[in-house]
Amino acid sequence: MGRMPTTSDSRRVVVTGVGAVCGFGWGVEPLETGLRAGATALLPFSRFDHSRHRTHLAAQVPEPPSGVAASFPAWRRLTQADRFALFAAAEAVSQAGLAAPLGPAAGVFFGSSTGGMFETELFYRELARKGGRPRLSALASQPVSGPGDAVGRHLQVAGPVRTISSACSSATLALGAALDAIRAGEVEVAIAGGSDSLCQLTYAGFNSLRAVAEGPCRPFREGRDGMSIGEGAAVFVLEPLALALQRGALPLAELAGAGSCCDAHHMTAPDPAGEGAAAAVEAALADAGVAAGRVDFVNAHGTGTPLNDAAEWRALERVFGPRGRLLPLTATKGAVGHLLGSAGAIEALATLLCLRAGEVHPTPGDGPVDPALPLALVTGRPLPLRAEVAVSVNLAFGGSNAALVLSRFPAPADRAA
Amino acid sequence: MTGLGTVGAFGCGRQALEAALRSARPALSLVDRSLYHRTGGARRAALACRNLAGWVPPAEARRMSAPSRLAVAAARMALEDAGLGRGWTSPGRPPAETAVVVSTAFGPSSCTEGLLQQIFLDSPESASPFLFTESVANAPAAQIAIATRARGAGITLSQREAGPLLAVGSGAAEIALGRSRRALAGSVEEITPLLHAVLDRFGALARPRGLAEEEQEEVARPFDRRRDGFLAGEGATVLVLEEVGEARRRGARALARVAAWGSAFDSTAAPTGWGEGAAGLAGALVRCLERAGLRPGDVDLIVSGASGSREGDRLEALTLHAAWGEAPLPPVLAPKGVTGEYGGGFLAAALLAVQGVPFGPTAGFAEPDPELRLFPHGGGPLPTPRNTLVTSLAAGGAAAWLVLARPEAA
Repeated sequence: MGRMPTTSDSRRVVVTGVGAVCGFGWGVEPLETGLRAGATALLPFSRFDHSRHRTHLAAQVPEPPSGVAASFPAWRRLTQADRFALFAAAEAVSQAGLAAPLGPAAGVFFGSSTGGMFETELFYRELARKGGRPRLSALASQPVSGPGDAVGRHLQVAGPVRTISSACSSATLALGAALDAIRAGEVEVAIAGGSDSLCQLTYAGFNSLRAVAEGPCRPFREGRDGMSIGEGAAVFVLEPLALALQRGALPLAELAGAGSCCDAHHMTAPDPAGEGAAAAVEAALADAGVAAGRVDFVNAHGTGTPLNDAAEWRALERVFGPRGRLLPLTATKGAVGHLLGSAGAIEALATLLCLRAGEVHPTPGDGPVDPALPLALVTGRPLPLRAEVAVSVNLAFGGSNAALVLSRFPAPADRAA
Repeated sequence: MTGLGTVGAFGCGRQALEAALRSARPALSLVDRSLYHRTGGARRAALACRNLAGWVPPAEARRMSAPSRLAVAAARMALEDAGLGRGWTSPGRPPAETAVVVSTAFGPSSCTEGLLQQIFLDSPESASPFLFTESVANAPAAQIAIATRARGAGITLSQREAGPLLAVGSGAAEIALGRSRRALAGSVEEITPLLHAVLDRFGALARPRGLAEEEQEEVARPFDRRRDGFLAGEGATVLVLEEVGEARRRGARALARVAAWGSAFDSTAAPTGWGEGAAGLAGALVRCLERAGLRPGDVDLIVSGASGSREGDRLEALTLHAAWGEAPLPPVLAPKGVTGEYGGGFLAAALLAVQGVPFGPTAGFAEPDPELRLFPHGGGPLPTPRNTLVTSLAAGGAAAWLVLARPEAA
C-alpha cells in the first residue's frame, strides 16, 4: 500500500485540458460521441489512391469545419500532421484556460511516427508520373519533429520541445516524459500528445507484413486478422496539481504514472510471453504508487493482430493474475484505428473520457471474443463503471512497451479531505 | 559516463576520432550527385566507415539497415570500452536493466527512400517487409536492445541537431529516477544522396569556393566570417551511462559525470531555420548551469555545436555572449568542422575534450566574424577542464545543453 496522496504532493500531475482530431472529426466531442456509440470511423477513404494497395479501409480525418483553417497562420503550408497537432493543442490549451505566449515555464512533449511523410510522398508521386518534375522542397517536411515544433512555435513555448519517435509507443513515452519534466520542476505546464497522418509508407508497409485486416480491425475477437490504420492527434495540458488548483484550473483527471520497458526480443513480433509489456505496466503502476488490485479497467493496445493481442493478454494476466479475467478491457483502435505515433495519446484521452463519464467505451468489432483469451472485453454498449484508476497500454515495433496510469480527480482521499 | 563507442568518417573507435581531431581535417567522400542534385553546390560528405564486420557479424548484419549496423557497432564498442563485454548475449545470464536512448534527425533514410521507390515506382504490393521494419525511426535503438538484451526503456528522440544531447540527458534521467542501472545513449544518422541533395537545395551545406582544384573541397567554417554551411556527416556514437555508485562498485573507469542537462525552444525560428531568440536561450542556458550548481564563470571549456551554418553559428555566439554578459568566454571548441553535422561524432568529440584529449586548431576557421566576437580554439594545449558545457542549437528552434564534470570530480 503506497502512502496516502495529498493535494500538495509535488509528484501529483493533473490534466487541465484536452484536444483531439480523429476519424470521427475535429474536437474531443466527436471522439467521445463516437466512442460511446460503439461506432467505428474505419471506412473507405480518399487521402490517397489506394486502388493498388492490398486493403482499402482507414479512419481518415474528415475535412475541418469552416473557420478552422483561418484560425491558424499559414495553414495551407502546414502538413496534415501539423494541422492535427495545432488544432488539438489549441483546443486543449483553451480548455485549460491558457493562451500563447506560454513562455519558458512551458514545454512540448510530442510523439510522432512519420511526421510530414504524407507531404514527402508528393515527391515520389511526381517522380512516378511520366514527365513529372519532382521538387526537392517537398522533402523538407519529412522530419518527425515537425508537429511538436509547430505546436511550440504556435503557442510560443520557450521551455523544452522534444519529439519522441518510438513507433506506436511514441506518444505514450512523450506523456511519460512530460510527467517527468513536471515532477522535476523543469516545466510548470506541459503540452503533451502526438500526431500522425495517413501515408502510403505506413499503409503499404503494414500491408507488406500482412498485418492489416481487410475489414475493420476486431481487437481480441475470435478469428481477428489484423490491424486498421487511422490518423489524427490528441493533446493534453498537464500541470502540477498544486499550481493548477492555485490558478483555479479544473483538473479533468490525474496522470498518475508512466512506465516503459523493452522486449529486446524481435523487431516486429512481440515477446509471446508478454514479459516486457507486463514490466511496462508494472513500472507505470509502481510510478503511480498504485497496486494492481486497484485498477478498475484497462485500455489495451489491442491492434487486432493475432500475435499482438495474444501477447498483450498474457502480459495483462501476468500483472493482474486471475482478476485479469474479470477486469473490463477496451480497445480504442476498433473505433479510430491505429494512430501509430499518436495512438498512445488518443487512447489515453479515451481512457480519461471513460473515467469522467463513469463508463467504459465498447470495443467495436464483430464476432465473439477469442475463447483463447478469457478476458472481459467491453462490447456492444458502454459499461457503467465508476472507475477510480485505469491503465492505458501501448506496444511498438522493436518491442518498445509503454503504459500510463490515469486516475479520477478528485481521488477518494481528496474527496474525504 | 563509463564507455564510448563511435563510428564516423574518421573510422571506428575513439583513437580514430582523436587522430582526426588532432589533424583538424575531416575525412570527406564524394556523394553520388547523378540523380537528385542541381549543378553546383556541395559534392562531399563525411560518410561513415562501413567496415563493421568486427562488431556486427555478417549473419547479424544482414537483418539490419546501415544505421542499425552503425548503432549496434557503436553500442558494442561502448560496452567494451566500459569493461562490460559486448552486451548480455550469453544464454542464462539475467537481462540487464539497461535503457536505450538514441536520437536521429532523419531516421533510416535509405530504407525509407527504398520503400517509397518500391511503393510509387513499382507497386504498393512490392513493398519490402524488411525495408519497412528498418525504416521506422526507432529501428536502430531496437536493434541495440535486441543485440545487447537491454530491457530498460527504449526511447528514440528526433529533435534534429539537438537530439544527441537530449538523448544523453534522457538516458541520465532514466538512471537518476532509478528506472535503470545503466543506459546506452547516443545518436545515429545516415546520409543518402537524396538527403544530401535536399540539405544542399536549402543552402544548409558548405559549398566549394571555386573551380580551382584547391577550392573544390568544401570547408565548414564554424564561427568564421566566410562560413556558408555545414558538412553533412553520418555515423553513430553511443555512450554507456551508469549510476555513480554502481560504476564505483564494479571499479569502472569514469570518463565524465553528467552534472546537468537542459533544453529550450526558440519560437522565433522558422521550421527549417534559426531564430533571433538569443536572450531567451541564454536564460535557459544559465538555468541549466544553475542546476549543476554552476555559474557561467565556472565553465572552463565550451564544446560548441557550431557547424559553419550562417544563422545557426550566429545564434550560438549571441546566446553564449548573452549568457556570459561582459565576462570573457572560456576556450571554445567547435569540432563539427571535422566530425560533420549528424551521426554523433560531435558528442564523442565532447567527451574526449572533457578528458583533455588534444584538439588541433578549429577546422575551417581563419577569419573572425566581427559580429560574433568569438574566436574558437586555435590549436595548442588546453587545460583539462573541470566543467565543460556542450551546446547544440537545432534548426527549427530546439536547443539543448549538457554540463559534463571531470571524472575526478565525480
